[in-house]
Amino acid sequence: MISRNKFSRVFQKHGSHSGVTARLGTSLLSKGKRNRLPVIWLGTNTCAGDSISLLNSLDPGYRAIISDLIDLRYYHFGMPAEGDKSTGVLEDTLAERPGEYVLIVEGTIPTRSNGLYCVIGNRRGKPFTALDAVQELGAAARYVVAVGTCASFGGPYAAHPNPSDGKAVHKVLDRQVINVPGCPAHPDWIVGTLAHLVWYGEPELDEYNRPTLFYGETIHNLCQRRHYFDSGIFSAHPGEPWCMYKAGCKGPVTFADCPYRQWNGEHLNWPVKANTPCIGCVSPEFPDHTEPFFEHLPDIHLPQVTVNANRVGAVTGVLTAIGIGGHLVASIIKGRLPKTLKKGFSPAKPGIEILQTTPAQILVDSIKKMLKKKR
Amino acid sequence: MLAPSFLILVASGLYIHKPSRVWGFRSMDSARKAHFIAQYFFGFYFLARAYYAVVTRDYRKIFPGVKDIIALPKFVAYELFLKKKKPKYPRYNPGQKLLYSQMALLFPLQIITGAVLYLTGKLQKLSRFFGGLNNVRLAHYLTTVGLSSMVAGHIYFALTDSVEKLKSIFTGYFKPK
Repeated sequence: MISRNKFSRVFQKHGSHSGVTARLGTSLLSKGKRNRLPVIWLGTNTCAGDSISLLNSLDPGYRAIISDLIDLRYYHFGMPAEGDKSTGVLEDTLAERPGEYVLIVEGTIPTRSNGLYCVIGNRRGKPFTALDAVQELGAAARYVVAVGTCASFGGPYAAHPNPSDGKAVHKVLDRQVINVPGCPAHPDWIVGTLAHLVWYGEPELDEYNRPTLFYGETIHNLCQRRHYFDSGIFSAHPGEPWCMYKAGCKGPVTFADCPYRQWNGEHLNWPVKANTPCIGCVSPEFPDHTEPFFEHLPDIHLPQVTVNANRVGAVTGVLTAIGIGGHLVASIIKGRLPKTLKKGFSPAKPGIEILQTTPAQILVDSIKKMLKKKR
Repeated sequence: MLAPSFLILVASGLYIHKPSRVWGFRSMDSARKAHFIAQYFFGFYFLARAYYAVVTRDYRKIFPGVKDIIALPKFVAYELFLKKKKPKYPRYNPGQKLLYSQMALLFPLQIITGAVLYLTGKLQKLSRFFGGLNNVRLAHYLTTVGLSSMVAGHIYFALTDSVEKLKSIFTGYFKPK
């Protein structure tokens, strides 16, 4: 079995080269085939984008993942079973393998009306809500992984006005949740995190509980167009081939390795390479506080009013200019300013100078004294 | 030192916010270098000033008290040209005190948000208080807008009050005439 360091190195540095993950996978998958971790993949309020992203994994492919890496017991998006047959699997896993399985949640957890805005099935003739499922299954899981920005931080499904009062997984569970955000999450981020959990346990996490393996550096620092940024060569609009900073790129405030990992299973492209700005989809404030996507700063939401930050700056500047300008004109008309200027530029009166002390003056004077003493 | 470094920080910061040669920089690289050098001058001088204020108990002259609030209407009346006679104050007038106390709160906020944006990885913990790095960027920008407006007013009122006071903002020396 390869070392944890080598695993991290390969996943971090060579993620974009197809074949590397396969080589890594082959050496690892063969070992733990018998001890595959049971995995439950719950879909709550979600667009299923992360499920589709997982299916786009090529090295290792979906088939290798479910046959060699994990024991995928429940997968809302890919399983043919329905009704009691499918929900029965959840109860069986909870009863037979408590403390052993990994719970993966995709989507926000609606909490309004006791969670009735998302029902994953029926249990004993009553609706089995996503809220109940996540709390029950999450409490007994070995690891809980929130896949996608909705599950990790709320994301689009908890965006304003959030009618279902959707929440991120860590807000309904009183335990450690590993966040793998992204809209959707890259297949490598999902598979890499799972592989790390299977072989080495919990990966190193950042302050937002994201694996630093994939979210350890800002997109901006890894960007292929960084030299355009430093040289001040910017695209004014999406579609132009230079730095997307002026077009609202959120790369400087977004931690992810998209620039060298690239999308999707084939590692071919990513937003900036396709001449559109990064929209910061892995960030905790996405999308409410990264919108408008093509503006540098987000809108400010006040009661009944939404204002753009740039407008706040412009209005403040104009009001300051009007205030100072108005006072200046009045000062000239009333003769206050000419009097002050006349006094200010007139030669000093003969006599004793009275100096008022200022902190800077005290500091400079004490240095002068010290230097004099030394001489 | 605070005033010149603040002006450099504002100009370079506005270039970083919205790159344009209007702010006096040719490239992002030069704007960032100026910003990062000025931030150290500003930060350390601010800390020294805060230390001085605490040690000498000078902060009592900066923050407005009950007397200043009582004296505020007279001061406002003079500044709005409703009264001719200039009221006299021992060191700072109520307007100055209000301004300085706001600066005393906003400068640390600006230093903290700036540090989080400067050391994105190492100070990630602090960004959590703002709900994310993009929110930190917004807070940093809005504080700049507020402080710039205050500093513009501060410089203007110093000019209309006394040329020597205006000079003292940049030199640190005040010699009344």
